[in-house]
Amino acid sequence: MRKIAALLGLCSLLALAPRFATGADWKMDPAGSKLEFIATFEKAPAPGVFKEFDTSLRRFDPERPAGASLDVLVKVTSADMSNADVNKEIRGKDWFDYAGFPQAEFHSTDLRRTGTSRYLARGTLSLKGAKQPVDVPFAWTPSPGGAAMEGELVLKRGAFGIGLGEWAASDVIGADVRVKFKVKLRRAD
Amino acid sequence: MLRNDSDSWGAAAKLFHWLMAGLIFAQIPLGIMAVSWRLSPTKIELFFWHKSTGMLILALLALRLLWRLANPTPALPADMPAWERAGARLSHFLLYVLMIALPVTGWIVNSASNIPFRIFFLIPLPAIVAPDKAAADFFALVHRGLFVVLALVLVAHIGAALRHHFVKRNTVLIRMLPWRTP
Repeated sequence: MRKIAALLGLCSLLALAPRFATGADWKMDPAGSKLEFIATFEKAPAPGVFKEFDTSLRRFDPERPAGASLDVLVKVTSADMSNADVNKEIRGKDWFDYAGFPQAEFHSTDLRRTGTSRYLARGTLSLKGAKQPVDVPFAWTPSPGGAAMEGELVLKRGAFGIGLGEWAASDVIGADVRVKFKVKLRRAD
Repeated sequence: MLRNDSDSWGAAAKLFHWLMAGLIFAQIPLGIMAVSWRLSPTKIELFFWHKSTGMLILALLALRLLWRLANPTPALPADMPAWERAGARLSHFLLYVLMIALPVTGWIVNSASNIPFRIFFLIPLPAIVAPDKAAADFFALVHRGLFVVLALVLVAHIGAALRHHFVKRNTVLIRMLPWRTP
């Protein structure tokens, strides 16, 4: 009898286990979120921001990130480099090409834990018609009723054709662009 | 002699004079080319060197003024009429004012335009005014206006030096030449 009870108990635990592995769905709170990009201009940092973007994280359990997915949509046309002339210039075909590619996307279904509260989302970034594999590291900080994802990565603008023709050379506008994000999330359910 | 005496300029004053003369004569074509070039990496490079040189001139000027205050100023020729003395004093005063006002208005334009800038790639230049498109346009106009004044004062300065040497045949020009003392 005891053995049967123990077996039943184990079975019920196993039956429950997949539910623990299935994490929660998370939605972005735009008010507390920020997506910055920092280019370099004659070796001086030239910061900009995408004012509109959205992040959703599905089935994410901080303890078991495998099986989760991360999707980020960026309204490229919301870029602001806080200079009227620069903002006008980056709309053009040589730079972001607002008319041709108004949106950028990042999708990952490969999330893994790399430290106590550190994670890595390996996925694909589609930007200006180019698709490139990109690793997005982030720190996860739970907060009452939600969590924050924060991270930073470096992209090569040339891989996405940002800065064409004479702008492709990296001596005036650097090749590397730092991307920094802080995303405030709350549980979707 | 490194220091000035009452008759002639010392080596330091001559170095300041000719170094800054060289920088100012480089600034003029750099600035004119920078504003007229079409938007391209070359235009940005021209602005970068123009702005870096301008900040170097401003820094050198601060040292030069200190050096001038700490040294005697060689006397003007005794037979110079009063109007020439007044003209010399006014034009030298204007040159100093312009060597401050041109870099400072350029700095204001750069700050108001919110353009990130590191002097010679090294020293980040802090903003002295808040980003403001109208202010940037206004001070760019002031900067150009001051350049016109500088061009006129330089013509007077060089013309007067040549007149001292070739017409009045005194030592005013010679005593500023780097390789000789009167």
